[in-house]
Amino acid sequence: MNSFSKKSRRQPAGICFLLGLLLLLASVNQGWSQDGSPSEYQVKAAFLYNFGKFVSWPSNAFAQADAPLVIGVFGSNPFHDDLQRIVADKKIDGHPVVVRLVKSVDEAKSCHILFISASQLTAAGNLAGALHGVRVLLVTENDSAFESDGFEINFVLEENKIRFEINNKAAMQTGLTISSKLLALAKPPGKPNL
Amino acid sequence: MALLLLANSIAVADDVATTNNADLSKLADMDINQLMQIQVSILGQPQSVSQTPAAVSVVTQDDIKRTGAQNIPEALRYVPGLDVAQVDSSQWAVTARGFNDIFADKLLVMQDGRSIYTPLFSGVFWDVQGTMMEDIDRIEVVRGPGATLWGANAMNGVIDIVTKNAEDTQGLLASAGGGNVNPAHVAVRYGGAINSNAFYRVYGTYDDYSANQLMNGDSANDAWQVARGGFRTDWNPGSANTFTFQGDGYMNWMNYVFGFYDPTSPTYSTPIQNAATEDGGNVLGRWTHEFSDTDNFKLQAYYDYSAEDLAVFNEQRNTFDLDFHDQIAVGNRNMLNWGAGYRITADTEKDNPMIQFNPLSENVNLYSAFLQDEIALLPDTLSLTFGSKFEHNDYTGFEFEPGGRLLWTPTKRQTVWASISRAVRTPSRVEESITLNESQRVPVGGGNYAYVPMTIEGNTSFQSEELIAYEAGYRAEPLKQLSLDFAAFYNDYQHIRSEQPTADPTAYYLANDLYGDSYGVEATATWQALSWWRLQPNYTFLVMDMQTRTENPADDGLIGQIEGSSPRHQFTIRSSMDFPRGVTFDTDLRYVDSLQSFQIDSYFELDARLAWQINKNWEVALVGQNLLHSEHPEFGPTYVNTENGRITDIPRSVFLKVTYKF
Repeated sequence: MNSFSKKSRRQPAGICFLLGLLLLLASVNQGWSQDGSPSEYQVKAAFLYNFGKFVSWPSNAFAQADAPLVIGVFGSNPFHDDLQRIVADKKIDGHPVVVRLVKSVDEAKSCHILFISASQLTAAGNLAGALHGVRVLLVTENDSAFESDGFEINFVLEENKIRFEINNKAAMQTGLTISSKLLALAKPPGKPNL
Repeated sequence: MALLLLANSIAVADDVATTNNADLSKLADMDINQLMQIQVSILGQPQSVSQTPAAVSVVTQDDIKRTGAQNIPEALRYVPGLDVAQVDSSQWAVTARGFNDIFADKLLVMQDGRSIYTPLFSGVFWDVQGTMMEDIDRIEVVRGPGATLWGANAMNGVIDIVTKNAEDTQGLLASAGGGNVNPAHVAVRYGGAINSNAFYRVYGTYDDYSANQLMNGDSANDAWQVARGGFRTDWNPGSANTFTFQGDGYMNWMNYVFGFYDPTSPTYSTPIQNAATEDGGNVLGRWTHEFSDTDNFKLQAYYDYSAEDLAVFNEQRNTFDLDFHDQIAVGNRNMLNWGAGYRITADTEKDNPMIQFNPLSENVNLYSAFLQDEIALLPDTLSLTFGSKFEHNDYTGFEFEPGGRLLWTPTKRQTVWASISRAVRTPSRVEESITLNESQRVPVGGGNYAYVPMTIEGNTSFQSEELIAYEAGYRAEPLKQLSLDFAAFYNDYQHIRSEQPTADPTAYYLANDLYGDSYGVEATATWQALSWWRLQPNYTFLVMDMQTRTENPADDGLIGQIEGSSPRHQFTIRSSMDFPRGVTFDTDLRYVDSLQSFQIDSYFELDARLAWQINKNWEVALVGQNLLHSEHPEFGPTYVNTENGRITDIPRSVFLKVTYKF
C-alpha cells in the first residue's frame, strides 16, 4: 500500500558505527587516572570508623572482649559498599568492626554507632526516640534532626569539607563517653555560619 | 525507577565503576585531622545518573520547591531537552525532542510505575495528573527511547514521578496560598506510623484557578478547580521485603467555551459554553523482595479509573495492569534485567456531533516481556547493555523493540556513552476508531480565509509509528565546582501519522505516510559559583524535517504543524542562592524560540522565588512566574482551528504560600 522507495533503511550503517566504536574502545588501554577526590560519603564513612576510636561504650555494650563493634546504617545506604571496605579487617580496642544495614528498631538496638542519612528525616526522629537510653552513638547529617531528636553527632558540610557537631549532653545521657580529643575538633553546636 | 533500571542500579554495581580500593584504604588510614582537610566532590548527579548510558535528568524535591512549581508541567520546565509550553489555565503541551502538541504522543509518563498517559490518544491529560508537590521525592526524565525497558509509547522519552516513601512524610504538613492565577491553594498531609516497620500518609489538596485572556482580549473561559486526595502505606517487615500500597483520587471542574462543530454555521463552528467534570482514581500495590544486593524482584499491580464528561468528549476508562521485574547478577560480569507484564484497558465512549467512535466500547489487551543484559566488558571501564522489549497488543499484534548501549568511563570524572534503539508508538483508540468533524480554516489568497468542513476518520489498519534513534553523550566534572552533561541524537522516524485524502475533498482518513528525521543537542551545566550560589544553565537545540509519501494539502499542513511547533533553540538558566537565617532566593530565566505554526514570537521569561524558613515549623514563600511581560502566549490549541487571536495569553503571576510542618 505504501511505497518505501524514497528512504533506505539506516539501520545497517548505525550498527557498523556501533561495532567500530566498540572495537576501538576495546583496544584502549585501561589507564584511567586517579586524580579525583573522594566523594562526600566516602569521607563520612571514614569519619564514622574514626568516631569509634574516640568513644567509650559501657561494659555491657559488648558480649565479649572480641565481640564485633557494629556500625549501622539506617534506611537507604548512601555509602554503597565504601563503608564496608574501609572497616574491613579493622579492629577498635580488640573489637572487629562490622557494618550492618538496619531496617528496624530492633536491629538498630544491636548497633554501637548508627548513621541515619538526611533522606530519612522523620524516621530519624522516631528511631532516636525509640533508642533513648540504649547505648548507640547516633550520627546524622540533618540540622533539624540533630537539634530536636537527641542525636550525638551531626555532619556539616563547610566549603566542601566535612565537619561535625557534637551534643555531649545527649551522649552522656545515653551512657557514652566521648573523648575530649574529639570534642576539641568538633564545631561548636549552634547555627551554621555562612 | 526508569533511570535506575537503565543504570542497573543496584548501588554496588554502579559504585564498582568509580571507587578504587587503593583510595579507600588511604582514607581508612587517615586520622580525623587529615579527614577534616579533604575537599570532597559534592557536585553533579547521584552516582546512578553519572553511570547511565542515556540522557537522564533528575528533578529533585529541592528543585521542585525552589522553582516554585505547583504542578507537574511546571516542575518539568527546566529539564534540558524537554519542551514544556503552557496552553491555558489547565492545559499544557509537553514533549521531548519534537512533536509538541496538547495531544503530544511520543512520551511515556508514569507515576510510581503506573502509566499515566491515556490510550485514548497516547498522550497525557496534564490537568488530571498531579499529587501533593511536597510529597514528590524526585522526577526522573530520560530523553530518548526507553522502549527496551518500558515498551511502546516510550518513543522520545520517559518520565517517572516518584513519590516519597511514607516514612519520609511523617507528621503534619499544611500549606495554603493564593495569587492572581491561583487564588486559592490548600494542601494538607498527615503521616503516621502503624508500628515500627509500617508507615502511612494521607493527603488532600484543593486549587482554584482563575480565567486568563485570549490574545485578542476576550476571556479564555479557562477557569477551573481541582480537588485531589490520596494515601500511601509502606511496610518493611524484615530486611528482604517491602510492601507498598497507595491510591489517589481527583475531581476537576471546568466551565469553558469551545468551538463546537456546527454544519449550520457559516464558519462550521459555534462557540458553546460547557460545564464539564473530570474525575478518577487509582490503587496500586507493590512487593519488592531482595535475595541479595544483586538479586531482587518487584511485583506490582494497579487499577486506574478515569471519567471525562465534556461536550466534545465523554469517556469512562478502566485499566488493570500487572507487572513483574527481576534483576539478577550472573557470574561477575553480567547483570540481567527481565520481566513480564499484562495490561487491559476497557473504555466506554459517547458520541456527539463532533466526535464519534466506532466501536463505542473496546477492551484492549497488552502482553509484554523484556530482557536486558549489562555486560562489564572491561571492569570499571566499559560496559555494554543490550536487550529488547517484546509486546503483543490487540491493534498491531507483535512488536519488537531492541536497543544497545555502551558506557565508557575513561577517567574517574568523565563518562562517554552511545546507543542505538528502536521504539514504536502503537495506535491509540482515536487513531483506530474516531470520526472527527471539524471546521478547517484555509487561506484563499489575498490574505482571506474560508471555512470548510472536514471529516477525519480513524483507520483500523493504522500501523505503529517507528523510530530508530542514534544517541551519544558525554559527562564530566572538570572542576570540583563544575559539572557538564552533553547529549546529541539523530532520530529516524517512519510511519508517522498522516491524513490521507479520499474521493470526497472534505474527507480524510488517518494513515502512516509521514516520515522524516530530527537531530539535536542538549547541554547542561551545574556550577557552584560560591558556597551559597549555584547556577544551572541549559541549552537545547532541535531541528525537525518531516516529509510525506503522498502529497496532499492536509499532510502539508500537518508537516508545517509538526515542524513549526517545536522551538529550534531553548535556553534556561537557574540561579539558587542560600542566605543566612533560612532565606533562599531562586531565579529561573528561560528563552524559547518562535513557533511558526502558531505565529508565536520567541520570548524571554523569568520565574523567581523568595522564601524564608522562619523556624523548623513555618515557611513563607513568594513565587513570581512569567514576570517579564504582563502576558505572553506559549502555545496554541490544536483541534480548534486557530487564528492568532484564539491563543490564550499566559499572564504574569504572583503567589504567596505559607507552609506549616509539625
